[in-house]
Amino acid sequence: MGNVEPGPLIRLDGLTKRYPGVTALSDLSVDVPRGLIGLVGANGAGKTTTFRLLLGLAHPTEGRVEVCGIDVAKDPIGVRALLGYMPEHDCLPLDQTAADVVSTFGELSGLPARAARQRASDILDLVGLDEARFRPISGFSTGMRQRAKLAQALVGDPELVLLDEPTAGLDPLGREEMLALVARLGTFGISVLMATHLLDDVQQVCDHVVMIDAGRLVVSGTTDSLLERTGVVTVDVGPRGHELVARLTALGLTAATEDNLIEVRVEGDQHMDALRDAIADLQLPLYRLSTRLTSLDEVFLRRAASAS
Amino acid sequence: MSAIEAGQGAVYDRGYRPYDGPRGRRGAATMALYKATMRRALGLRRSWRQKIAPFVLLGVVTIPAIVNVGIGYVTRDNVGDTFEIITYRDYVGVSSALLLFVALVCPDVMCPDRRHRVLPLMFARPLMGQDYVVAKLGAIASILFAFSFLPQVVLFVGNMFVSDSALDYFSGHLDILWKVPAAVVLLAVYYAIIGVAVSSMTDRRIVAGAAVVGVFLVTSISSGIIVGDNYQQQGGSLAALINVWVLPLYLRDLIFLGHIDPDSPLTGVDQGGLIAIATFIVVLCAAAGVLLRRYRWVER
Repeated sequence: MGNVEPGPLIRLDGLTKRYPGVTALSDLSVDVPRGLIGLVGANGAGKTTTFRLLLGLAHPTEGRVEVCGIDVAKDPIGVRALLGYMPEHDCLPLDQTAADVVSTFGELSGLPARAARQRASDILDLVGLDEARFRPISGFSTGMRQRAKLAQALVGDPELVLLDEPTAGLDPLGREEMLALVARLGTFGISVLMATHLLDDVQQVCDHVVMIDAGRLVVSGTTDSLLERTGVVTVDVGPRGHELVARLTALGLTAATEDNLIEVRVEGDQHMDALRDAIADLQLPLYRLSTRLTSLDEVFLRRAASAS
Repeated sequence: MSAIEAGQGAVYDRGYRPYDGPRGRRGAATMALYKATMRRALGLRRSWRQKIAPFVLLGVVTIPAIVNVGIGYVTRDNVGDTFEIITYRDYVGVSSALLLFVALVCPDVMCPDRRHRVLPLMFARPLMGQDYVVAKLGAIASILFAFSFLPQVVLFVGNMFVSDSALDYFSGHLDILWKVPAAVVLLAVYYAIIGVAVSSMTDRRIVAGAAVVGVFLVTSISSGIIVGDNYQQQGGSLAALINVWVLPLYLRDLIFLGHIDPDSPLTGVDQGGLIAIATFIVVLCAAAGVLLRRYRWVER
């Protein structure tokens, strides 16, 4: 890619977008680093509008958008040359083969025809459509169409890929495979901005999260920093778990069995010591002991509520 | 290379290879879309069914030239008998065949982009709305030019070789070398911009095709009713210009004859030629305005 200025991958500065009767984004300011980024929000939160503003397909009512140091308002073409875009909705010509579609979009991204064809072949291989490349898109399953959409977003060798609900409509296996593909993009040096309302997807893949609600920023930070300790320890000691629960209850601790695991509320080191000693006294095998973290759902709900 | 023995094969994950070669911007993207539209319109890289219409049409529009040259060849020894079933001027106006092509192909290259919601993907590339219009229009106009011009080349070259002296024929028809391309360019751009503009109004091919034919037929019939049949005796009328189907043929006549054809419904109209040119430009500008507005994606 071309020379890109250092700094945040995306900078939104006082970004407001109003449509007649609707404020889609309101004074949104955030710096987003490189990496795998989740853009999280409920339906109608402003995720797609943010994408349109990043692509220069809409003008902000107020504020600025920068991608890789380039002001989108001043050089939308320059910004688009750095981006790949995978919309949520169906967007591929159904009567063409995957190879034709992806190579055409490669050429539209500015690649010479021969290079576009070669890259189309490589990228379709990467997304697992190598054997289906000469089949018309109309015969593709939902999962294959999602992969083809991802392939057209990648064929231009983008600096940043905008993925709008990439797992929408996929079955659990397809979802896992798509998320694995998205996670791999990070290892290739491609940054990803993944808009979704599925917080599990973000928690699984992204290392930074931007949460928006009703067009306003809720919180932005690394995924790890947002996941807080809950004060609950999860223990797996096998089939004799009820003995441990009884012992801990007798000691005055709060413990309960949840999905064959024991959840123990601990407040301080004394409780942890008591848990350790109880397991040792009962001579139980210890298969797992971990601190339970909050989910992103909990973080979102709590922060959105406090923000409003 | 030695053969790989059973059990010794390996599967390699080629991973992702960044692209560090040359990369174009708007011009390259526009040219890519132009080429993709040409391929689609001609049915290339598509099923054989998609190839039938354009190439049958090319055959149909070439038949008069082949027949003309064939008869010229058969009668080449008849002294003083120059057979001509179609003139270069008439050949520019094989407009019903072109109209059919426009009604078939323009919807096919315009409507699916909107219907399949491909446009957001295109405009996420280094491509602006006007680039999209230029590429689509350019591709259709190029094909229309080729389909109108190639038969003329067949006719000219054929006539040259069946004439008594090819060199004399060539030197005696030098004006054809600029008149035909000029008239065909006007015709191609005109039909292309109307076909593309009308097709851009809907995402349904059948509706667009019917609308294209409808625009030409309705204006043609309306004009015919207003002008009437006795224009050769009573003089023509400006209402002849309502007929968008034959409007470019008045410009063709200006190129070939230097004036409006006395047999046309515009005959006898004061400054008819200039008004025809002005109307032609207005129609082009109106269609271009529709297209540019339709694909002004920014700030939608």
